[in-house]
Amino acid sequence: MGIGVYQLFPTDNSSIQQILSLIFYAIFFFYLFFGQQLQVQRILLSISGALNKIKDAHDRSKREIIDFLQKNGYNGDAVSHVNTLIEYFTISPVDLDPTGLVKKIEHILSVRDERIRSEVRSMLPEKDALTISILENLLEISAALNVYYKVVRHYYLIGKKTSNLYLLMQLQMVLPDLLREVEALVSAIEPIKNAQPIGDGIGPMVAGRLLLNNEKKQIARDTIFGEVNYKNRILYVIKAEGPAGNVGQPGNAIEYLINNYGLKPAAIIMIDAALKLEGEATGEVAEGAGAAIGGIGVDKYKIEEIASRNNIPLYAIIIKESIVEAITCMTKEIVEAIPKVLNRIDYLLENRTREGDSVIVVGVGNSIGVGQ
Amino acid sequence: MANRLFKGQKQFKVVTIEECLSCKLKMKRPFKINDYVYKEGEVCQKCGTKMIISAIYKEELKY
Repeated sequence: MGIGVYQLFPTDNSSIQQILSLIFYAIFFFYLFFGQQLQVQRILLSISGALNKIKDAHDRSKREIIDFLQKNGYNGDAVSHVNTLIEYFTISPVDLDPTGLVKKIEHILSVRDERIRSEVRSMLPEKDALTISILENLLEISAALNVYYKVVRHYYLIGKKTSNLYLLMQLQMVLPDLLREVEALVSAIEPIKNAQPIGDGIGPMVAGRLLLNNEKKQIARDTIFGEVNYKNRILYVIKAEGPAGNVGQPGNAIEYLINNYGLKPAAIIMIDAALKLEGEATGEVAEGAGAAIGGIGVDKYKIEEIASRNNIPLYAIIIKESIVEAITCMTKEIVEAIPKVLNRIDYLLENRTREGDSVIVVGVGNSIGVGQ
Repeated sequence: MANRLFKGQKQFKVVTIEECLSCKLKMKRPFKINDYVYKEGEVCQKCGTKMIISAIYKEELKY
C-alpha cells in the first residue's frame, strides 16, 4: 500500500489534520531556505567549543612557563619575553632550485636553535643544561599550541564572516585529530617540567643501556657516543646527551665517526620510536631497513647519504606507540620493549656482521630524563 | 597532578624502578624530582652494591 501525495492535502475537515499539514509545510520551507544557515550555526557552535579548549591549553602552557621562570629566579617581564619567544618563526628556504636545500634548512634551523637557546640562557644565566632544556621544550610546546590556536581561530572567524559552510565542514572534520594532538601537547607539559622520560625517549634508553659503565664523549652538539665491546664487535653507540631534553645531531655524529674518525662500520643500526597505526599494540617492536629518524629531514638525509656513499647497510628497529604516548610520560609497555630491542640488536649483530667488525648503534629520540 | 582539560583524560602516578645489576633485585618507588634513568640509586638491600634507576614510567591511578 503506497502513500500518495494526495494524503498531504486532507479532504476531510479534521482540524488536527490541517494543523499537522501546516506544521509540515512550515518545517519543509524553513529547511529549504534556512537549512544551510542552521547547519553553519550548529558547526560554528561545535568549533567554538573546540577553540575554547585549544585556547585553555595554550593559556595553560604559557602559565606553566611563567611559573617555571619565576620558580627558577627570573625577575624580568616574563609575560612579554615568553610571548616574543612563542611567536618566533622560521622561514623555509626557497625550493625552486632544490640543489643544496638540506644545507640551507640545516643552516636556518641552527640559527633558530642558537637564537632561542641564547635567549633562554640569558633569562636563566645561572641554571644548568637540564633546566635550560626544560624551558626550551616547554617553549616548543607552547609555540605549537599557539599555532594550533591561531590557525583554528583564523578559519573559524573566516567561516563565521562568510558563512562558508564548506570551509567550516572541513575544519570540523579535522578537529578530532587536531584536539588529540592538542591533548598530547598539554599532557607533555607535566613530564617535561619534572624531567621525566617521554615515550620518544625509548631510543636513547636502549642506547644508554648499552653505554652503561663505559666512557662517554661528546661528538656533536648535545650528542655523545661511547665505544662498547659487545659480542666480540666494537659498537659505537650514539645518543642525545641526557638527562636534559635534547634530540642531538645523530647525522653529524655519524658523519664525524666515518669522515674524521676513519671508521668503516659493517652496519648502522638505528633505534627509534615510531607512530603506531590504530589497532597496533603499544611497545610492539618491528625491524626494517632505512634511517629510522623523524624531524624535518636534515639528519635523515645526512645518514642516508653517508650510508649509501660508503655502502653501509642501514638497519632500523622501531618501537610502536601513539602520538600521545610519544610525547607524554613513558608507559610500562614501552619500557618492556627494551629487552626485545636488545634481542633484535643481538640477532642483527650475530647474523649480519662478523666478529671484530665495527657497528654504529644510534638511539634516536628526546633524551629528557634519560642519562647515560 | 594537572587539572584535566579534556573529558576522559586519565590520571597517572609516576614510578621509579631501581635495579641491582649484580643480583637483579628490582625496587619500585614513587618518582622523585631529580630522578633520571641510569642515575645511581640506593644500595641494594640484598647484595650491598649500588643500584641504578633502570626505568621511570607512569601507572594509571585506579579509584
